[in-house]
Amino acid sequence: MRFDDLVRVHAADLYRYAFWLTREPRQAEDVVQEALLRSWRAFPQLRDPAAAKAWLFSIVRNEFYRAIAKNGPPLENVDDLELSDESASPPGLEMREALTRLPPSYAEPLALQVLGGFSCAEIAAMMGITEGAAMTRLTRARQALKRVVAPDGARERKGGRL
Amino acid sequence: MNCLDYRRVLLSGEAENRAMKEHRLQCPPCAAVLAENAQFERELRRAVEVPVPPQVEQRLATAVVSRRRRFLAAAAIGALAVGAGGYSWLSRPDAIALDCIEFVLMEEAKSILKGSMTRPEAETALAPTLPLARIGRIGEVRHIGPCPFNGQNAYHVIVEVPQGKVTLLVMPEGSAAGRAKREGLYASVVPLRSGSVGVIGADAAVVDSVAGALRSSRA
Repeated sequence: MRFDDLVRVHAADLYRYAFWLTREPRQAEDVVQEALLRSWRAFPQLRDPAAAKAWLFSIVRNEFYRAIAKNGPPLENVDDLELSDESASPPGLEMREALTRLPPSYAEPLALQVLGGFSCAEIAAMMGITEGAAMTRLTRARQALKRVVAPDGARERKGGRL
Repeated sequence: MNCLDYRRVLLSGEAENRAMKEHRLQCPPCAAVLAENAQFERELRRAVEVPVPPQVEQRLATAVVSRRRRFLAAAAIGALAVGAGGYSWLSRPDAIALDCIEFVLMEEAKSILKGSMTRPEAETALAPTLPLARIGRIGEVRHIGPCPFNGQNAYHVIVEVPQGKVTLLVMPEGSAAGRAKREGLYASVVPLRSGSVGVIGADAAVVDSVAGALRSSRA
């Protein structure tokens, strides 16, 4: 696969991932731009095309933390207009707003899982944490979102056997 | 697998594996949980998939192509400089310095996330190789943490200097030296009285300046 094709396939999700890291559309775009330039330079060394997606997400992540080390943490400026879109139903919007309130340590693995389709083991490797910690963060993130979206617990079925 | 295990994995969002599927097929309550959870997962996906600003893909492609051209042009000028025997950063890179750059590219973020050592811990750990006070004369220390590097227990230090950020890799063992340039980063490894230190940054002059300061203060 050519580098340009790779970018075309993943650009939107890389932007979305960067958005959940920076919480700011302009900074997300800057991070992805830097990451794509860096990945273009390193592309000849990518030996396994199947790993390209994880490789690109990792470079976006590294670029984000490089920017933090250089400029300090991003200023949160989540504009409602930027978050709303016609495709999101009211429950989707409610969930999106709840997502913005999640701590980054919970929102990030969730974004990696949902956008990248990565497993707990892959997320753990990308974030430098244990697989158990990744699973715990993903679970707690979902629990927090479920509490917001369905505070009465109506969506959580009781029962079953142990 | 029992219901608790099934729901624990399901709530983490991990894809259903064979054992889970076998359990679900013979457990109606868990099958119902899966069905209910599917709606939540659809809403979650819609929420995570924030709208991509119009033309962002086009803007990214244009910006990257434009910067690639500038990069290639600069590389061509660099190659001419090498041809004239002029630019030492573009001479054959040294492996240890390349490893330093690789660390910054691939490992630095993870290392920062693992957290910093306390100042007393850092003072004790760095004292035999590069005392913290000496690093403090170069700039403001932003992060110090242990990191495995070059087959030894090294220390990762981020220093804010007036011109920006530099990374130091303090290696207590061996005496290494070298220089390299890659991916827009410069590295200079300087031998110390005991051990060595790699200086990595995005500006060649700053890296040279910091490396020079550390070299001159090693006696």
